[in-house]
Amino acid sequence: MAYRPAREGNLLSLYINNRAGGLIFHRDFSPNAAKLDTNEQMQLASTFSGLALIMGQLAPSRPSSGMQLLEADGFLLQSFDSPTGIKFFLTAEPDAKGLDLVLREVYTYYADYVLKNPFYEMDMPIQKGGKFCQKLDRMVAQVQDRR
Amino acid sequence: MASEAERKKVALRRLGDATFSKVDKVSAELFSLTYGAVVTQLLKDYEDVAAANVQLEKMGYNMGVRMVDELLAKASLAQCASFSETAEVVAKVGFKMFLGVNVEVAAATSSEFRLLLSENPLAEFVELPEECSKLEYSGLLCGVLRGALEMVQMRVECSLLRDTLWGDEVTEIRVLLKERLVEEFVDDDE
Amino acid sequence: MLKLRRPPCFSQLCAAQRVVSQSAFAFLFSEMIQYSQTRVNTADELIAKLEDAGVGVGRRALELACWRERSSKRETRALWKSLFGAHADSLQKVQDSDDEFMIVEKEPLVNAFISSAPVNCAAFVAGGRTPSPPESGRLGRRLAAAQFPAEVSAHDNEEGATVLLIKFAPEVLEREKRQA
Repeated sequence: MAYRPAREGNLLSLYINNRAGGLIFHRDFSPNAAKLDTNEQMQLASTFSGLALIMGQLAPSRPSSGMQLLEADGFLLQSFDSPTGIKFFLTAEPDAKGLDLVLREVYTYYADYVLKNPFYEMDMPIQKGGKFCQKLDRMVAQVQDRR
Repeated sequence: MASEAERKKVALRRLGDATFSKVDKVSAELFSLTYGAVVTQLLKDYEDVAAANVQLEKMGYNMGVRMVDELLAKASLAQCASFSETAEVVAKVGFKMFLGVNVEVAAATSSEFRLLLSENPLAEFVELPEECSKLEYSGLLCGVLRGALEMVQMRVECSLLRDTLWGDEVTEIRVLLKERLVEEFVDDDE
Repeated sequence: MLKLRRPPCFSQLCAAQRVVSQSAFAFLFSEMIQYSQTRVNTADELIAKLEDAGVGVGRRALELACWRERSSKRETRALWKSLFGAHADSLQKVQDSDDEFMIVEKEPLVNAFISSAPVNCAAFVAGGRTPSPPESGRLGRRLAAAQFPAEVSAHDNEEGATVLLIKFAPEVLEREKRQA
């Protein structure tokens, strides 16, 4: 992938946590994505689950929809919780738009290409290189092309 | 009040139809025959109808646990305000988008509802022989419901009350709410 | 303990072919595989179990399809279509072999959502490894009943498509030669 300058709103990374808050999937979509090793990725993912839980508890009105968007100087982080307790979160460059729709699409792929696979065990890490990844890459390519 | 509930029902029926129209389809025959193969295999493996019933329900549970995410992902649904709303979603959206059938809800209260199926794609062209008369052929559906609802924090008990394969007019499933599960955050370090 | 199937009544057969979502089938198939896995120890045993499951399905499907078609000339394409709804992507002849054909399916129905599988689940669709009689698998069974006895097996090719390899019994070739 060629280096793209920041401020174009590209997608950086996708993380998926299982119901216990543990990381089951991670994928980088850009060379600009943070370079973390596996342990750092797992720590980041579980810290995020913890953070999201606290956010939900701090919310002034209950039930709260929980943390959905985190804006920092260098990136955006969009999060989506399925009602079944799976957490999908995405980092992207600051101008990225439509991240919530991207996550909803990822949820659909999860339902189709992860859950329907008899060789996948619930709450376990999702194997790379299968149809789920193919669909993700294709979607990201389409999303990046539109920019 | 009544018309609000009616309006919701109609909206859910439309949502179910729309979702079903968008998904890919396969022949109901293939589905029914495959299920028949599954049941036949279970009867061979367990030899006892009661044991086969338990296994069928369990298989349904395993399926339901995975199916609910597809329903939530593909049909845009708001959180249910009551158990009877859950019943309507299950009947009008769930059954419709997966099986293409229209299911009615009966006797809905805050802790129980019944589903009435006049069509059952699982059981096309099936007849139960004498020795299997107590087989809960559609027990898979009970398991699917139990699994699916558990994933959205409801522990239920489902039972097959009537089955067209037993000579009844309709297939009827009772869903009983036992407990609403509160999410717990499990700390891996402890 | 076998389950009886009521001979289909005419009106049911004539009713427009009903459909269910592909997902419903996929989840059922997935659970069937998972159940089978608990009862076998090796990949080969899993394949055999799936093929066995396919047998019963093929036999019944044939009964129903023939009732529908009501024709004495049984065309394999018509039978294939009635169950799987579309022509397989291609039916090709294997080079250097008189009796082998392939059906290549880029996205076989049964495998549509399955990836990184230790076995090719299209074994359900295919047929037996055992030599004639072709008492094996859905396709094997249907080909047999359609007077085209054959051995069928499922494989992956380099492009990740599923190949159903059909090896016809010698008498089929004899007959074709005579009819030519």
